[in-house]
Amino acid sequence: MMGISEKEFAMLARLARLEFDGERKQEFMSEFEEIINFANAVNNAVAGDTESIKDTGGDNVMFEELREDTVKESLPNEKITSGVTPVNGYFTVKRVVK
Amino acid sequence: MKYEMNCGLETHVELATETKIFCSCTTRFGGAPNTHCCPICTGQPGVLPFLNKKATEFAVRAGLAVGCKVNTVTHMDRKNYCYPDLPKAYQISQLDKPLSYGGFIELDSGKKIGITRIHIEEDAGKLVHERGNTFVDYNRGGVPLIEIVSEPDISSAAEAREYAEKLQLIMRYIGVSDCKMQEGSMRCDVNVSLCPAGSGKLGVRTEIKNMNSLSFMEKAIEYECERQAEILDEGGVIEQATLRFDEHTGETYVMRTKEDAQDYRYFPEPDILTVIIPEETVERIKSELPELPFDKMRRYTDELGINAKNARLMCRYKNLCLWFESALSYGASVKHSVNLITGVIFSFLSTEENKEKFDLNLTAAEFAKLVKYLDEGKITVSVAQSALLQMLQSGKCVNEFITEDVLLGTSDGELEKICQDAIAANPQAVADYVGGKEKAIFALYGFIKRATQGKADMNKVNNILSELLNK
Repeated sequence: MMGISEKEFAMLARLARLEFDGERKQEFMSEFEEIINFANAVNNAVAGDTESIKDTGGDNVMFEELREDTVKESLPNEKITSGVTPVNGYFTVKRVVK
Repeated sequence: MKYEMNCGLETHVELATETKIFCSCTTRFGGAPNTHCCPICTGQPGVLPFLNKKATEFAVRAGLAVGCKVNTVTHMDRKNYCYPDLPKAYQISQLDKPLSYGGFIELDSGKKIGITRIHIEEDAGKLVHERGNTFVDYNRGGVPLIEIVSEPDISSAAEAREYAEKLQLIMRYIGVSDCKMQEGSMRCDVNVSLCPAGSGKLGVRTEIKNMNSLSFMEKAIEYECERQAEILDEGGVIEQATLRFDEHTGETYVMRTKEDAQDYRYFPEPDILTVIIPEETVERIKSELPELPFDKMRRYTDELGINAKNARLMCRYKNLCLWFESALSYGASVKHSVNLITGVIFSFLSTEENKEKFDLNLTAAEFAKLVKYLDEGKITVSVAQSALLQMLQSGKCVNEFITEDVLLGTSDGELEKICQDAIAANPQAVADYVGGKEKAIFALYGFIKRATQGKADMNKVNNILSELLNK
């Protein structure tokens, strides 16, 4: 059984910008343990011949199939800013420089 | 204590594509705010980014031009950060599979500054801070960038400048970017750390963000070195931080502290497939690279015999070099071409921007005709300079200005006769000159210029006079 240490959990929570109180933290840690155990079970499974199994994680795209560099019309400003109240065509946001 | 500086540059270069990196909106600079935008570059839910082929090719080209190897299997990653200039709250960038890696830039001293990696990513929007408000324009959001990350091999502000200048020149030569720092199409983040001299260990670094002028970059590095040295001398420790440089005070200020890759929670971008760049494509891009500026400079000095100063000056402008080489192919001599270009043409173009564009009203073929008159001794240098200036101003061809009456009709024999006449007509000046007053010869020059209506080749005149006067 693989667990997750308090330190590792605190690190993950910080990266995820989440905060947990004591009870919720225990609940989460136990769920995490289940997830890790499941991943380990998959890792340790004896799958036999996997060489012939095609990777289903996603296809590749060849360089030649990438998008050509041709301009298409953009949306008009009124459409782009339709969900907000623009000022002279700009979006306005909370002041970010003091 | 004596310290050594270790400096590395992260240089962002905007690629000169027509469209953005993941959508078909224009990348044109300027335009009314939020008019070069679509659902993809403003990060609307449900849209899918589609990588621009030319941006990818430019990034590979940039890597090859600085000696990098190319990752032929590459993918994009998400770099998460929340700021209003990024509507998706993540930037699509590259982490572990950059398009290229492992190159270098060689400085004049022969020192090589390593290039760790070059990766491709999207630019953020532009924030405008006015009267206590923050306005956002997403026209720039999604413009393709390459980030060129150097090793911390740079050991002075001057080296940092030279590295950035060379990089800028190479990127312009290979046509991937105009690298205009004043317009933001090239920007540098500078990492600076100090360590005790000879220790060989890297100190704690600080990063000065978004330098858009080379001279300010030099000042910022010098200031930051002094600041760190003062802290270390007082027994303090340097805190890893991201700084900004205030151009008015000449000082650096902390924007935020400690920031590592893990803070960005990178993960593979699920909306974009892994990209395969076949070896043949890499070879094709490599074969299409133009002659690079420093190779050209070497060729100009070693093969064409141009002095190092002029070779360096000319090779700063690729279009000029192409035009000059075209003039040579029409039979113009190197020496007179270079003198007219660095004298008359540079002065006519005056600004860096004009020299960079090199958009002249004069073909290389017409220029070559003029230079050939000079090469053949049919006109003097001053006549050539004057004619060239008029050709540049009017766009008219050489024959409009080099007419029969301008061409030197004076044979060597006639010129010798005129020189003899000058000596005969100016006995006092001759006596003074022979007596040691060198300036007295100007009286003879004046006589000869009047007699030939200014068309005499003064080099020949000098030779004839010195022969006659020394008899």
